[in-house]
Amino acid sequence: SGWWGNLVGCAVREFTFLAKKPGCRGLRITTDACWGRCETWEKPILEPPYIEAHHRVCTYNETKQVTIKMPNCAPGVDPFYTILCCSTVTTECETI
Amino acid sequence: QEAVIPGCHLHPFNVTVRSDRQGTCQGSHVAQACVGHCESSAFPSRYSVLVASGYRHNVTSISQCCTISGLKKVKVQLQCVGSRREELEIFTARACQCDMCRLSRY
Repeated sequence: SGWWGNLVGCAVREFTFLAKKPGCRGLRITTDACWGRCETWEKPILEPPYIEAHHRVCTYNETKQVTIKMPNCAPGVDPFYTILCCSTVTTECETI
Repeated sequence: QEAVIPGCHLHPFNVTVRSDRQGTCQGSHVAQACVGHCESSAFPSRYSVLVASGYRHNVTSISQCCTISGLKKVKVQLQCVGSRREELEIFTARACQCDMCRLSRY
């Protein structure tokens, strides 16, 4: 692990994946993903459901659209592929 | 952003127990909860996920949350009006782990 070894909270982190679309050749893309550790807890309570949970996860607070042109697409295949990814400005723990 | 030990751990907290709303008998106990920092991430969905969801599921989340993996019962002594005593059993966490977040369990 790097500087994020003991990170608490969420951060934008690079994420590489192989984008695939039928009729086109795959394309390796590096984009921004949200990653981190949110403080979460569970505690026993006296009344049903007997466990109270406070669960949050790192997710996109703001998103940006990125459109990629896929390579070597067959004739008649739309070569454009749009993904949503993290805004580089904000990413945070959100209650689910 | 601060640095702490990641993971999900037992954490003591005070609980006050009353036998009824009037508080005829009451007592307190230090019970255990599970508190911690587990990993979660969100990233663009694969094309197959986009198509299968009608382009609605455009973000995929892989997440874990701090959960109670084992409970045990403990007896709490209650002090009643006068010198009478009662005993009540309550749950306390015995073990914790990073596991599925609560909404994804049902």
